[in-house]
Amino acid sequence: MTCGEAQELITAVVDGELLEAERALLETHLHACADCRTALAAEQALKQAIHGTGALLRAPDALRVRILSDPRIFPAQRRSARRWRDYLWPMPPALRPALAVALLLALALPAYYFIDYRREPVAVAALESYDFFVQEKLPVSRPASADEIAALLTRAVGGRFRPMGYDFSAMDLRPVAGLVREIQGRKILVAIYQGPHGAILCYTFLGSEDDAPPNAAKFFDSEKKLNFYAFSRGGVNAVFHREGDVICILASQMPMEELLTLTRSKARAS
Amino acid sequence: MTHLDHLYRFASHLTKDQEQAHDLVQETFVRAIAAHEQFIPGTNLKAWLARILFNFFVDHYQKNKRWAPLEDASNEGNDDWNRAAAENPGPESQLLGKELGTQIKDGLAALPEEFRTPLLLVDMGDFSYEEAAAIMSCPVGTIRSRLSRGRKLLARRLKAYVKGPAAK
Repeated sequence: MTCGEAQELITAVVDGELLEAERALLETHLHACADCRTALAAEQALKQAIHGTGALLRAPDALRVRILSDPRIFPAQRRSARRWRDYLWPMPPALRPALAVALLLALALPAYYFIDYRREPVAVAALESYDFFVQEKLPVSRPASADEIAALLTRAVGGRFRPMGYDFSAMDLRPVAGLVREIQGRKILVAIYQGPHGAILCYTFLGSEDDAPPNAAKFFDSEKKLNFYAFSRGGVNAVFHREGDVICILASQMPMEELLTLTRSKARAS
Repeated sequence: MTHLDHLYRFASHLTKDQEQAHDLVQETFVRAIAAHEQFIPGTNLKAWLARILFNFFVDHYQKNKRWAPLEDASNEGNDDWNRAAAENPGPESQLLGKELGTQIKDGLAALPEEFRTPLLLVDMGDFSYEEAAAIMSCPVGTIRSRLSRGRKLLARRLKAYVKGPAAK
């Protein structure tokens, strides 16, 4: 066997793909040829180096968001609407018109209320305060410190839950104000962080992942074992996640990828 | 989102362009969802996705593109990269780790696609020869010979780099 002929067998042995019939031939050659032994070690090192180079590259969050928000891959699920329809139409098609009329007469007003309520989930409705904040229409209290904001907000809900108390000082954002909003009978704490380049509003309320907007792009962070839901409303981006029975939404005008990365870095693993 | 990192890695090195890599991975998922009935449960999902990605790449990015000219492979002797890697497998590669990664990335990018793809599949993607052959729709023997040749070409590109820092 020549060195040229040994070359492909060396490649195969490096990849663990050498055929049994070839093994003896190669071993005999390697025993006699120092150059090919060196070539074998070099090819193993190169393979490891290529593998290591590849492992450094991971899919960016922007790509995850892009895939998760592609309706061709993850069709927007109107979860509540689907359950409602499934509940409505368990019977043969011939009976459906009769049921529809009966429902229309009996449930017209409550149904309208229900649909309207579902159209604006609490998580989306909460973002309205971002617009008010930008327009300086919010009746906010402006205490002196982050601790005072947290204490004020916690008192407002009788200590049942606390604001997240995130520290965004690395982004030059300081807590400047807090307020409590009541939407659809639920108390929502809003901590406002402001800096020279923008603002973040942090919403906290008691809830479950059913409170995530149905159209939000959802993805699972395997490291933190948390679901994150990304959605937007009128130019404001928001990322929703749950820590126990507390829902946290960070809202900002910063790009969605950055906001998502920020939320993931701050979220406490479940 | 299974295998997303792997697909992104494959797409990035195939296209050598971040935006195209994003498009390629996204379209791979779209095609996979559309063709999900063709996937046989119990078979290798990662290889199936890689095959979709590669086919899409060939269809949309490689059409009307000619292979880059192959480098001169007449020098069959051992080169400095071979010696340096064999003699200094540990501290040397660690010391030069970051730099080496950049060199490998650039070296891969300069390889003709027919040699680059087997390296991406087998060395980065941990696919077997048989899986790589199925993804590229070619015989197993072709994968082996292209890997051998591709690594040799890549090693030669790294030669100049090893000469520099390693000589100090």
